[in-house]
Amino acid sequence: MKGIIKGYATTLKTMVEPKVTVKYPDVPLKMPDRFRGIQHFYPEKCIVCNQCARICPTECITLTGKPNPDPEKKVKVIDTFDINFEICILCDLCTEVCPTEAIVMTNNFELAAYSRDELFKDVKWLHENDTNVRKENNSSSPRARKGGQ
Amino acid sequence: MGGMFSGPLTWQNAIVWILASVVLLFLVLGFVTYAIYFERKILGWAQARHGPNRVGPFGLLQTVADVAKVLMKEDIMPKNADRALFILAPFLAFVPAFTVLATIPFTGWAYFADLNVGLLYYVALSSITTLGILLGGWASNNKYALLGGMRSAAQMISYEIPLVISVVGVVLLSGSLNMSKIVDGQEGWFWNWNIVPQFLGFVVFMIAAFAELNRTPFDLPEAESELVAGYFVEYSGFRWAMYMLTEYVYMFAIAALTTVLFLGGWHAPAPFLEFIPGIVWFLLKFAFVVFFIIWTRATLPRMRVDQLMGFGWKVLLPLALANVFLTAVWLEIFN
Repeated sequence: MKGIIKGYATTLKTMVEPKVTVKYPDVPLKMPDRFRGIQHFYPEKCIVCNQCARICPTECITLTGKPNPDPEKKVKVIDTFDINFEICILCDLCTEVCPTEAIVMTNNFELAAYSRDELFKDVKWLHENDTNVRKENNSSSPRARKGGQ
Repeated sequence: MGGMFSGPLTWQNAIVWILASVVLLFLVLGFVTYAIYFERKILGWAQARHGPNRVGPFGLLQTVADVAKVLMKEDIMPKNADRALFILAPFLAFVPAFTVLATIPFTGWAYFADLNVGLLYYVALSSITTLGILLGGWASNNKYALLGGMRSAAQMISYEIPLVISVVGVVLLSGSLNMSKIVDGQEGWFWNWNIVPQFLGFVVFMIAAFAELNRTPFDLPEAESELVAGYFVEYSGFRWAMYMLTEYVYMFAIAALTTVLFLGGWHAPAPFLEFIPGIVWFLLKFAFVVFFIIWTRATLPRMRVDQLMGFGWKVLLPLALANVFLTAVWLEIFN
């Protein structure tokens, strides 16, 4: 009997407490910093080493380079860089392997579209996608690692 | 208003009576709509979530959307189901739920029929719903529906007896089965309400009422998350909506009956508050009873069928009889 009364008191108390649900999508959902969303690309940092395209498990990255417009430098410059977002699994391996951290992840994941054309991200889109960029990028290159670890 | 119904059966009178009944039907349907909405909201709050809040402002149109969806569904009838009984069962369950509202006095003047045996009329008609439920289980040609129907009938019959006997105490105190007279006997301060002298009767009545309504903790025949809907598993669309309607109209009827018999009907808790119209007091008490029913659903777990039957026959029935005996002895000694 006492348990029943305590049960009633508990439910009544819970009725006036703040709710545990989140009103997504009316209220935006803030992801932690390390959340892997769609990539952000810095064309000026890319050295066209092709590591990201080689390591990608689904082979969704295709890139081409062109000779450096500056005749002094020998490093190639990125010409086109496409990510086929339909098959990108957001695994973060391209970010880990990039020696210059030219490609990093952001926290943007709300990318549903009504047409598959919009899911083919080119270098312009990836460069302009610069909100919510991840601060910690897990790059395996010693040169790109910041602050020593 | 009762006088309005006692004239001869002319065309004018018939139209007026039919219109009055239709008004009551719409009021009851409005109650059912918002009872379902508030049930979902209150259950949500008790579970630390919001409940429906997207359809319409604050989710108020949720039930309307649900009803529209249900009415648009295909009406499936199993091939070997007993056609006539399958069609008859939901209506047989619903009609008594609505007709018992005829004798309940909402205020001093708002009632349909002032029967001298009003309480007996209520109890007698509410038994017919059991038939509708049993018939639904049988006519579905489904052994689980039949089992659910038999269990539900067993539960409803066993708990009707303590329900009626617990009310006998109130009848003894008021000296009449007439609901208006029972309410008149509770005039004055709130300690005149029948819940105070008849507290044991009230407790037995509330528990038996939960069993009659097939609500938690006695909702084994439906058991939403466990059995698949029990006796109305083969019903879809409008026929299922009829069964749901029966349940909620019964909730209305039992809450109204509790208010009239035990909580003082349309009287205020204190004489100096009588200037507030009776309907407001009736609605407040009625709303509290409905809230208590929903609160119980959020709180208590379900009882097993053998625990349920044992409780009804071995605990509630002797308690109800003891209540009658004690009331009679008290009346003999002090009157």
